[in-house]
Amino acid sequence: MSEHKSATGPGGRLLYLIAGLGIVIALWRFANGIGAVSNLNQGYPWGFWIGFDILAGIALAAGGFVVAALVHIFGGERYHPLVRPAIFTAFLGYLLFITGLLVDIGRPWTFWQMIIFWHHESPMFEVGWCVMMYTTILFLEFVPAVLEKYKKTVWLERWRTYSPWIAWALVVLFTIALIRTVAWVVAVGGVLLLFQILVHRGVIRRDPRVPTLLIIAGVLFSTMHQSSLGTVFTMVPHKLHPLWYSPILPVLFFTSAVMTGLAMVIVEATLSARYLRRPPESDLLSGIGRGLWWALIVYLGLRTLDLAVRGAAAEAFAVTPQSLAFWLEILVGVVIPLAMLVSRDSVSSDRGLFWASLLVVIGLVINRLNVAITGIHAATAERYVPHWMEIAVSAGIVSAGILVYRAVVRWLPVIEEHQHADRTASGRTGAHGRPAGGSQP
Amino acid sequence: MAMKAMLIDAMRCIGCRGCQVACKTWNGRKAEKTEFFSGPGYQNPGDLSAETLTLITYNEVQVNGRFDWVFGKKQCMHCNTPACAAACPVGALKKLESGPVIYQKHRCIGCRYCMLACPFEIPRFEYDSANPYITKCTMCADRLETGGVPACSKVCPTGAIAFGDRDEMIREAQHRINQNPSGYYHEIYGLEEAGGTCVLHISNVPFDKLGHRTDVPKHAVNKDTEQAMEAIPIVMLGLAALLGGIYMLRTRTVHHESDAPRADG
Ligand code: SF4
Ligand code: SF4
Ligand code: SF4
Repeated sequence: MSEHKSATGPGGRLLYLIAGLGIVIALWRFANGIGAVSNLNQGYPWGFWIGFDILAGIALAAGGFVVAALVHIFGGERYHPLVRPAIFTAFLGYLLFITGLLVDIGRPWTFWQMIIFWHHESPMFEVGWCVMMYTTILFLEFVPAVLEKYKKTVWLERWRTYSPWIAWALVVLFTIALIRTVAWVVAVGGVLLLFQILVHRGVIRRDPRVPTLLIIAGVLFSTMHQSSLGTVFTMVPHKLHPLWYSPILPVLFFTSAVMTGLAMVIVEATLSARYLRRPPESDLLSGIGRGLWWALIVYLGLRTLDLAVRGAAAEAFAVTPQSLAFWLEILVGVVIPLAMLVSRDSVSSDRGLFWASLLVVIGLVINRLNVAITGIHAATAERYVPHWMEIAVSAGIVSAGILVYRAVVRWLPVIEEHQHADRTASGRTGAHGRPAGGSQP
Repeated sequence: MAMKAMLIDAMRCIGCRGCQVACKTWNGRKAEKTEFFSGPGYQNPGDLSAETLTLITYNEVQVNGRFDWVFGKKQCMHCNTPACAAACPVGALKKLESGPVIYQKHRCIGCRYCMLACPFEIPRFEYDSANPYITKCTMCADRLETGGVPACSKVCPTGAIAFGDRDEMIREAQHRINQNPSGYYHEIYGLEEAGGTCVLHISNVPFDKLGHRTDVPKHAVNKDTEQAMEAIPIVMLGLAALLGGIYMLRTRTVHHESDAPRADG
């Protein structure tokens, strides 16, 4: 952790190079149109960017809301050290994903028009609104790290006072835009308002660390966002292969996002511990690993049941590129990790846990690419194969993300030092803004 | 206004492509540099494009034992429940009561979801433009407004493109088939496809021979989507109550724990 390694760390130069190339290609695309850098065509309007940057990217960011809910709603207090890194990763992930979106959509400077032109029947409208709402919530959830670093106690107080109300207003606005029925808006808004009033009155205990309403809003928007990406594809029964098309796609997308969120927490915690030269939070991670195992079981069950009920299971045993892609996704992302995590030993071994989680993440990426590319069939067009420049743009975005991540974990108190064995209440009470991590020499 | 429709009769089309030209002229689309055999047959250009909103397909089909040219017309079908309009996040695509599915370009953000959603694979995107829009046939909605008919229908020298109330057009199609049962293929393409469309095709050969997709569902393709979207309020309310409730119950039982404020998120 000496200074001469600078903020880039291992492979830093390569990351800068890839990110730079991505920027150059993106600029080229803005000057000459999407056709100039991609193989997207009239039959295949969506490709690698949608599959990787957006579908996979959003699922990988699910760790933020899963861990936040685990700790702040369900009371898994011991996982608290994982909350902030997970929220930060989610926030960064969303910013990266928005960057990807700006490259993919044709007229990104008009994206804001979703705010004025409402079309609540469209799943894409829901997706767009979730992006805007949840990114704001993530910002609010993350901003204390910055305020603590600079000891802005006044602002922290303000944050504590106002952020739940902003969260509430966003939920109500979202409900109005998406539901358009007064009764529902009153019901959803009312339940949360009641909650907040009870917190104010002291009937419900106030969480001194973070306004619970902020966490609830984050979980709501995330749930809607993850599932709405699946809803988007319920529109194409005529194009999406039966191995993936299902009326319950929203449920499958949500479930697989939760499971991948958990896997990402493990992958990320292991890697950043290595990067910061600290031992990983092994006991916490193995707890998450057990959760991951159950999430995998649930997902595998849902997928199997869904295929069986729709009578699509036979498709998996036909020898087609689609069925191969399907097995790759299931084996890599679900079956092998399940087998790896089945024994207690492997769940508590850092290495086993890391590799199993990494496989889940890779499997998820394959799954989303399958939905966006492999599984889509357009009758009247040539097939689509991603252009190298499409992949280069996405690689650039990921590299930029890693660079930002590395810089921020050294700058802000994102990753707590758990070595302080007694990080119990006594060691921390009143310690407003103890800058953990960032201030290490 | 009753819902209008076009009735396109392949038996009457002579492949002059006057409709293609009229369409380009009226909609101000640029000419394209084309090559022969860039599509499935002699048709030119090979397929619909951002500049070509309607296309006469040239198909060599066996009719009564000998090969013959049969011409099909590819264009937006103006679905009764258009998937493209259901998909569009900003309502740029919109079904008018009078039949056309129009495109309000100032709203469009370029997400191309309409292209994915359309079961007939019709909308095109200006991939070569830095300020790209979607293009597709609008049934000349601007002409209809002033009591006109679509440009292609107006120009067709053989009356292969009839235009009128949808009910009327369906009756007319059935009438033509009944009058010449050995000549016509006994189906109306567009009667039920994707839940019914405002462009109807009749022909002497099966429709897939003309380059039409015959595997589109017979119902509106967004039926599953509608169900998923209807679940939103239930999930929102349920989740809000559930999360709030769990928090409330949980923190009650541990009320004795330290209440000291700790600053972190
Ligand atoms: S054919 Fe396609 S573009 Fe035309 S109205 Fe139907 S869904 Fe929309
Ligand atoms: S590309 Fe334009 S018209 Fe098509 S769905 Fe997106 S915003 Fe709507
Ligand atoms: S103008 Fe009429 S006859 Fe000529 S190609 Fe078009 S539909 Fe056929």
